[in-house]
Amino acid sequence: MPTPSMHYLIVGNGVAGVSAALKLREREQEAKIALLSGESDYFFSRTALMYAYMDQMSLKDLEPYERGKYKDLRIDLIKGWMSDLDAEARLVTLSDGRTIRYDKLLLATGSLARQTDWPGLAQVKEGVVNFVTLQDLGRCEALTPSTREAVVVGGGLIGVELVECLLHHGRKITFLVKDPWYWPVALGGEEGEMINQHIRNHGVDLRLNEQVTEVFAGEGGRIRGVRLASGAEVPCQMLGVAIGVTPQIEFLRRAKTPPALNRGIVVDEAFLTSLPDVYAAGDCAEITLAETKPFVEQIWYSAKRHGMLAAQAMLGDPIHYQKPLFFNSAKFFEIEYTTVGQVNDAPQDAEHFFWKHPHKEASIRLVTRNGALIGANLLGARWDHTVFERWVREHRSRAFVLAHLREAQFDFEFGRLDLRPLYEKELVHG
Amino acid sequence: MVKEGAWGKFAHDVTHRGVSAWLLAGLLLGFYYLLYYTETFTPWGKALGLGSKWGFYGMLYTLAVLGGGAYMLRRYKHNRYQIVRTSVVMFVQFTFAFATPLLLKAFQQPEYYFSYLWPLKFDYFNPYVLFNLPLPMLLYSVVGSLVMVPLLAVFFGKRWYCSWVCGCGGLANTTGEPWRHLSDKSTASWRFERVAIYSVLGLCVVLTLLLFVSFGIKNRIPELTKFITQYQYFYGLLVVTWLSGILGVVLYPINGTRVWCRFFCPMAALLGVMHKVGRFQIRVKDNMCISCGMCSTYCEMGIDVRAYAQANQSFTRASCVGCGMCAEVCPRGVLRLENVSKPQPQFQPLVQITLR
Repeated sequence: MPTPSMHYLIVGNGVAGVSAALKLREREQEAKIALLSGESDYFFSRTALMYAYMDQMSLKDLEPYERGKYKDLRIDLIKGWMSDLDAEARLVTLSDGRTIRYDKLLLATGSLARQTDWPGLAQVKEGVVNFVTLQDLGRCEALTPSTREAVVVGGGLIGVELVECLLHHGRKITFLVKDPWYWPVALGGEEGEMINQHIRNHGVDLRLNEQVTEVFAGEGGRIRGVRLASGAEVPCQMLGVAIGVTPQIEFLRRAKTPPALNRGIVVDEAFLTSLPDVYAAGDCAEITLAETKPFVEQIWYSAKRHGMLAAQAMLGDPIHYQKPLFFNSAKFFEIEYTTVGQVNDAPQDAEHFFWKHPHKEASIRLVTRNGALIGANLLGARWDHTVFERWVREHRSRAFVLAHLREAQFDFEFGRLDLRPLYEKELVHG
Repeated sequence: MVKEGAWGKFAHDVTHRGVSAWLLAGLLLGFYYLLYYTETFTPWGKALGLGSKWGFYGMLYTLAVLGGGAYMLRRYKHNRYQIVRTSVVMFVQFTFAFATPLLLKAFQQPEYYFSYLWPLKFDYFNPYVLFNLPLPMLLYSVVGSLVMVPLLAVFFGKRWYCSWVCGCGGLANTTGEPWRHLSDKSTASWRFERVAIYSVLGLCVVLTLLLFVSFGIKNRIPELTKFITQYQYFYGLLVVTWLSGILGVVLYPINGTRVWCRFFCPMAALLGVMHKVGRFQIRVKDNMCISCGMCSTYCEMGIDVRAYAQANQSFTRASCVGCGMCAEVCPRGVLRLENVSKPQPQFQPLVQITLR
């Protein structure tokens, strides 16, 4: 007699949810696996929304897997928004009233754009956008034709992406960053200065140490401008708000049996929530480990990792998640960025070595502590982060790293960043 | 979202299979009909001192490669690989595919193209042609095809030919650039590719063998000679004229720039086998892929590069011409073309799942 097969339900078809589904199928041939999403029919790459906005890719190009793959792997795709959870009955209810029974549930609901409350915002009915979801993209595209001037708020990754898109469409842009330089969480002052200049060279009106204090509604509730902290008023027909993302968990607070919630859905080292057989992974999970402060990881790489590990935990593997050595990448217009380990979050007694290429928009920052590498910020060239990770693990000295930098270069053939100016400078200064 | 303005709308339409794209394909087809099946351009070629309609076509082709090349050099000025590669392809087209044959003809020598080799140009192994060539060209044909081509492919990948030297690739990677994303990325098209390209290679090898037989038996079996002549005619019409000469370019606005190279070119098939066992690979940086798909979108050979990148798997695909555009468009610098000295890892399926 065949054993009744498990039913895995995954809420959210982002990278965490899909990575989990693929891992589950890889290990369990018989199980029933369902992926629920209200946002999109198929998994798409959120990181590529900007390329769709700039018409460099079609929406279908954004999908990492061929559509037939889900059928081949017998992963059921369900379109709908989850609205309720009954962990005792093992039942998920959708906003249209449908119910789905599960044996094990994975919540991978991701993030939503963080909102704020400026005076006057209530009167604005149209023209304020985020740039996180497929629906956000649709709103941006609908508003762009009737926009001459746009204001983008938020000195992070999504902000600069939105600026790049609007610039591509020939809009006049005022880019507001509340800090003295762009992205101070990740970049040091010298790097920030280089990026500031790069953004300005593209014709963007970048304003530092600046914030919106009030927004003005025009005809029909369409935004017509903003007032800044400095008192200046900037006209705009579109206001892009990119001040970060926040775990999408609010709907769970109203559930019949909500899991423990804090900043995100509280999970243990095996991605298990406070409810039996209910797991959470990706941006929406707040991981609570014995030795560290609870943390939320909200980047593509962590979501992919969480998804796979949560699936393994659901399959019964012993999972003890440990926050791995941090790495990330980004691109600010043409400048590529790679970071490894601790840089701006390094302890006070860490030493920083910074070098800017004399003629190119490229820089290297090495952070050492007690003589050993703990992190690096690399701009304007391509680097293999795994080599830096190894150097961090091996506690390599700055001198060693400088002498071996070539091994980590990942530039195009014939296009290696010229490090000779670095070594000449190093020789002069000892 | 499509860029506004007349130019923006047109640029989108003509590169996204819109009405203007189909019109362009129709115009190209009309042009090739006049070129191949009429003598419309013969007087033009004579008037320009280029001898024939083919001389005229060669000039147009070279101008397209040079003009499109200039566009490439400007667009990718930050990428040294693209600059070097494009410069070489422009130089080869002008020197070996245009100026040298003209000069040779002026000196009463056979019109020989050093940039073309068997099996792409099967005539260079056609004994009736081969043994009438002057000795240096005869040697170049034989040594070039049997030694130089495979050796370079083993060391540098098929790219040394397909995106650095070849005229078909030259046009695709210059004037054809705006249409590269139209290549079909589906698994179905990959399946078709494998059947089609090795079939044409088979047809070409059989043709070459038959021509040697025909040459050897000297019309002692008239039926066989007649059959071989018909076979050669059939191959010439289907492969040389239509697939390579006409459709290869006519389909740019519909199926991208590498329809001939990817599905039918016997040279690409042979080179692909060499580079599979050779040193070339596209290296994937571990865990850095964000699955955006720019690499796959802009792969002119329809390779789903993203599938490898997001699986952290360095790879060598037989069809890869090493144009380097996947690495160029990758916003996270995940991909790198390289010639490695260590042996290739064995191919692994992307998702290890056995289907029922």
